[in-house]
Amino acid sequence: MVIMSAAGEVRSRRVLARVGRSWALLALLLMLLVFSLAGKEFLSLANYSNILLASVTLFLLAAGETFVVVSGGIDLSIGFVMGLVCVTSAIVMRDLNAAGASQLICVSAGATVGLVLSLIPGAINGLLITRFRVPPFIATLGMWGIANGLAWLFSGGLPIAFLPSAVHKIGRAYVGYYSTKAGFSFAPPQLTTREDILSVVKIIPVPVLIVAICLVVLGFVLARTRFGRHTYAIGGKMDAAVRAGIDVRRHLLKVYVLSSFCAGCAGVILVFLSNAGSLTQFTSNYELLSIASVVIGGASLTGGRGSIWGTVTGVLLIGTLNNGLMMMGLQIFYRFIAIGIILIGAVLIDRSFPELLYED
Amino acid sequence: MKRWMMVVMSVVLVMAVGFGLVAKPFVIAFMPGIADPFYFTMEKGAKAMAAQLGPDKVQLIVGQYPATWGPDAQVPLLDALMARGDIDLLFTAPTSTQALIPVLKKYHDRGIPIITVDTYLGDGDYTKASDYSFPLSYIGTDNKLGGEVVAAQLAVLLGGTGKVFLENTNPDTSSVMDRERGFRQGLLGFPQMELVGVEYCLDNQETAQAQVANALQLHDDLAGVFGVNVFSAQGAHAAVAAAGLSGVVKVGTWDATATLIEALKNGEVDFILAQKPGEMGSLCVQWGYEYLASGKTLSVPRKIVPGFFVFTKDNVNSPDSQQYIYSK
Repeated sequence: MVIMSAAGEVRSRRVLARVGRSWALLALLLMLLVFSLAGKEFLSLANYSNILLASVTLFLLAAGETFVVVSGGIDLSIGFVMGLVCVTSAIVMRDLNAAGASQLICVSAGATVGLVLSLIPGAINGLLITRFRVPPFIATLGMWGIANGLAWLFSGGLPIAFLPSAVHKIGRAYVGYYSTKAGFSFAPPQLTTREDILSVVKIIPVPVLIVAICLVVLGFVLARTRFGRHTYAIGGKMDAAVRAGIDVRRHLLKVYVLSSFCAGCAGVILVFLSNAGSLTQFTSNYELLSIASVVIGGASLTGGRGSIWGTVTGVLLIGTLNNGLMMMGLQIFYRFIAIGIILIGAVLIDRSFPELLYED
Repeated sequence: MKRWMMVVMSVVLVMAVGFGLVAKPFVIAFMPGIADPFYFTMEKGAKAMAAQLGPDKVQLIVGQYPATWGPDAQVPLLDALMARGDIDLLFTAPTSTQALIPVLKKYHDRGIPIITVDTYLGDGDYTKASDYSFPLSYIGTDNKLGGEVVAAQLAVLLGGTGKVFLENTNPDTSSVMDRERGFRQGLLGFPQMELVGVEYCLDNQETAQAQVANALQLHDDLAGVFGVNVFSAQGAHAAVAAAGLSGVVKVGTWDATATLIEALKNGEVDFILAQKPGEMGSLCVQWGYEYLASGKTLSVPRKIVPGFFVFTKDNVNSPDSQQYIYSK
């Protein structure tokens, strides 16, 4: 009898722990339910596409940030690195296009320049943190300003336009289209009336597909490879990691370069999505939203805990909240408040039941 | 003999200048708000008017363009400009309604009249006495009036009926909020038109795009969108184009930058309300010169509002329209 109840207690604690650990996922499901019932037009394929499309950049930024947070650091520069890469890629594409280069060359050269450029801020952050012992908060805060200043300088504060037409064709593409009038096709059907255009079922936006692949790869790297295990080890206990023979300096350098590279990927995708090179505005708070997503997803800012899967849930939670509240007619200011409350809630859950959530 | 003649002529010339017989040109200085095509166009207009008046009447000096918008960048440049010591009149776009008051007051106290152009000090009303009412005049756009013009233009395109959406940017910026007020006011004249939503993108194009995509999702019969500045407009037309609805949902916007003109030519934007920065610059030089030439007695209107120009796909390529595109 005593044994039975003890076993029952263990089981119920396990269930509680499971619920507690995936509270963000449950909150997301609950939110989807509430918005579907309350918000007009929320429950539709097109709207879910909208949520995912609006979250594309945040997915990548937050995934890179997850590695940094798991390693026990923080990267504040990612939002502005994204803006810098976005502006630079767009300038390369615009200028090559104006010089008469083929669309393929314009697009691939622009993307490559942007991605290569994105390695530099990460390398500088990493070197400052590992070689010169600058705290991550300060090193990446410095890069936060530098990247933004350069983006302003390169763009003159205005969006970079006059891009080759392939850019918006890729950015606005879906994997497939189906309409009763035109049937199934891989190219967007040419329709003119509003009814016909709105009746087209669009299946999976291409940028979302690309980001999904990136997330699967990053998730695999963090969860299943030696690189990932070392990241957890360094974030969990630095001394133990050193004793275990991990080259901590070198590993952390790689982590910051990876974070910056993810921001670079976000910047390049943003060129395609918005058909323009835009610098990141101060009011955008991408770095803060990324950190919020990582924390909501169950990572600890002291390091050693977190996952790409959790972060994806965190980004979806913020994206759904943004979308759902707007569909209910609430303006952007209320969304800031809502995200703030959820973030604080996430940390409170984390702090209140640590023995419950992380007993094994 | 020749040398003697030259000495006499020199003496006469020196005396003539001394007694003001040979007119020294008035030095009019321009301090822009930020290095962008809007102010480049303003400078061009000012230069054209100075050339028209003649180099013996007006000498135009252009201060260094501030790299960013705000008093931090602009005030030191204004101080540097004042250090020249030969300026008779200054026209400038103050980058803050409050923070620019002290430095411009310094100019005023040195007897240099000020015209504020495009932006203003305080609430822009220089007719009633206040600590910011010292400028001679405000020459610039009436944003509220512009908002009304946009509403009317959208109504013309939509046949006076349909749902419209407003994509705004920063709710703490007077100019764009005036555009919103004007737009709301203008729509009152068209009872069949309904404003179904207003959003603020905080100058983030990605946000604007998501907000307009949501608006399209929420209202499948949305007929028109007004993007109040370049970021809101870029986001708005990108969202409309991504939904495949370019041309079906009308997009109106503000400011004839090369970027938006290109979007108009591509059919992604349906009309653009252009301010006339060139005319603003020209008016500043003209009124400034006439005020100085009158011995500072001329009564200059405290507020001068140049008109607008509406770009549509029908007039965007005509030679007459090109002067209203903001350019270097």
